[in-house]
Amino acid sequence: MYNTNETTLKIRALREAAMKILFTIAACVSILAVLLICVFIFANGIPAIAEIGVTKFLFGRTWKPNADIYGIFPMIIGSLYATAGAIVVGVPIGILMAIFMARFCPKSIYKIIKPFVELLAGIPSVVYGFLGIRILVPLIHSFFPEEKSGSGLLAASIMLGIMILPTIINVSESAIRAVPENYYEGSLALGATHERSVFFTVVPAARSGILASVILGVGRAIGETMAVIWVAGNAPIVPKGLMSSVRTMTSNVVLEMGYATGLHRDALIGTAVVLFVFILIINLCFSAIKRGTK
Amino acid sequence: MRKLLTSILLILALTLTFAACDPAPANDPPAANNPTTNDTPAPSNNTTNETPATPAETPVTPAETTPITGAINVISREDGSGTRGAFVELFDVRIENAEGRKVDDIRQDSDIQNSTGQVLTAVQGNKQAIGYISLGSLDNTVKALKIEGVDATPENVLNGTYSIARPFNIVTNSNSVLSEAAQDFMNFIMSDEGQAIIKAEKYISQGSTGAYTMSSASGTVKVEGSSSISPLMEKIKEAYEAINSNIKIEIQTNDSGRGVTATVEGSCDIGMVSREVRAEEVEQGLDVTAICIDGIAVIVNVDNPLSDVTKADIKEIYQDGGSITRWEEIG
Repeated sequence: MYNTNETTLKIRALREAAMKILFTIAACVSILAVLLICVFIFANGIPAIAEIGVTKFLFGRTWKPNADIYGIFPMIIGSLYATAGAIVVGVPIGILMAIFMARFCPKSIYKIIKPFVELLAGIPSVVYGFLGIRILVPLIHSFFPEEKSGSGLLAASIMLGIMILPTIINVSESAIRAVPENYYEGSLALGATHERSVFFTVVPAARSGILASVILGVGRAIGETMAVIWVAGNAPIVPKGLMSSVRTMTSNVVLEMGYATGLHRDALIGTAVVLFVFILIINLCFSAIKRGTK
Repeated sequence: MRKLLTSILLILALTLTFAACDPAPANDPPAANNPTTNDTPAPSNNTTNETPATPAETPVTPAETTPITGAINVISREDGSGTRGAFVELFDVRIENAEGRKVDDIRQDSDIQNSTGQVLTAVQGNKQAIGYISLGSLDNTVKALKIEGVDATPENVLNGTYSIARPFNIVTNSNSVLSEAAQDFMNFIMSDEGQAIIKAEKYISQGSTGAYTMSSASGTVKVEGSSSISPLMEKIKEAYEAINSNIKIEIQTNDSGRGVTATVEGSCDIGMVSREVRAEEVEQGLDVTAICIDGIAVIVNVDNPLSDVTKADIKEIYQDGGSITRWEEIG
């Protein structure tokens, strides 16, 4: 009896140790992946940026790889414009939707809406892009027949706005739901209506969570590629208006990487470095806001 | 009760969505298998809802009475694309840079699509669009323009009347003896079997040297160069290695220039060059063999009444700062 107990204990200890190693390896793999990506991107990108010249690379307004001119300023501005457009389109809809789902929606409708929102997040971006070029772009063109085409900044903004909806809705909704119920009840007790209580008590209390959802949405928008390539027009110019063609940093990398060699290829990796820095800043903002809530 | 109502509403919304989506993919006529059928740019199979009044079998003529107007949506391929390189060379959409080298000068504000499929989709969806693709990829979802009055067909490329075409060349080092294995692979490319693959990939064959007979050679053949040719070369390699397992083919993809240098340096057996080989390159010691021809078609939307342009028009449309930016300015 005593003997068997000891063996089971031993086996248990062994299993414990094995599992510990397994989990450590699993954790290491993801860290290693991030480190490898960092090393690869920076090792390839930084020398190229140095060769081209930091200011020439970041603020050069001409991108002509055939003539060895590499300025990614139009792409940086393009990414910023498209992301800003996505926020203008996606954030109001997303937040209002989240408020509706958390506080106004009858259970029976919620049961239908929730899976649809989740499905929206799961649709591959190529599908969004295809829908964009077949439906959204001709639609926009029919509103502006004077323009040469419907693709451009507006189409990209609407596309990205729709794509960041699920992120914003899901994160905002859980933030609103996390607000203690007594905030709402207290507001009702003071005589406020349901609407007033939600909009002026519950939502402000959830603002850091909502802000976090917006930042996550920005992260998704700035990193999105396939859907944007289909609808943005992709001319490497600083966009002059809503209907102007726009190329984002991600598009720039994906568009040309297939054929690029030598300095052209390294300049594209340099573009990825700049993008990486942008994402890093966004993630830092995100964790700063998260820390602020605690 | 409420549940029932929402379900009905949802189903209605879904049907509406599908109804809205349907006409777009549905009017894609199936891609033609034979590129020769594409020279008739008649929008006869066009049943899009933009032209509900015209019967399905209307010939081109009535549409030509109303010439197209509006800004031109110039669509190009990305920098580095083989098709773009060939297009730029064939229409001379180039500018001399500081070192006196002629470089690509396509409009900076032209829309860029990074595959033939995306160019096709973009042109299909916009009446004001113009683009260019490899002749082999042409189908009747778009209309190929006549260049200087000549239809873009494989026949016209072969007889030389349609000049917008480029050869796919392979080069070997003329200063050293070609390995038996490499010679055997080249024989295969030029044989009936090899040229059949080329035709199946919709490139234009200039004829073959008869049935392939396997030699006793064995070893490895290194092939390097143009990314325009390498997809075709991969297909040929597959078929070749299935027949002759003694020889291994290694394909490295970069660009035509590298194909030339690598062959001259001797670091590869066969170089792939998707353009005319320049005289100064031949002088370095190269034997050139054209394995097939690839034409380039300039395409517009099927609803575009324009059917004929000149090479000069195309240059003005595509060149940075060119004088043609609206359809009514052509001609």
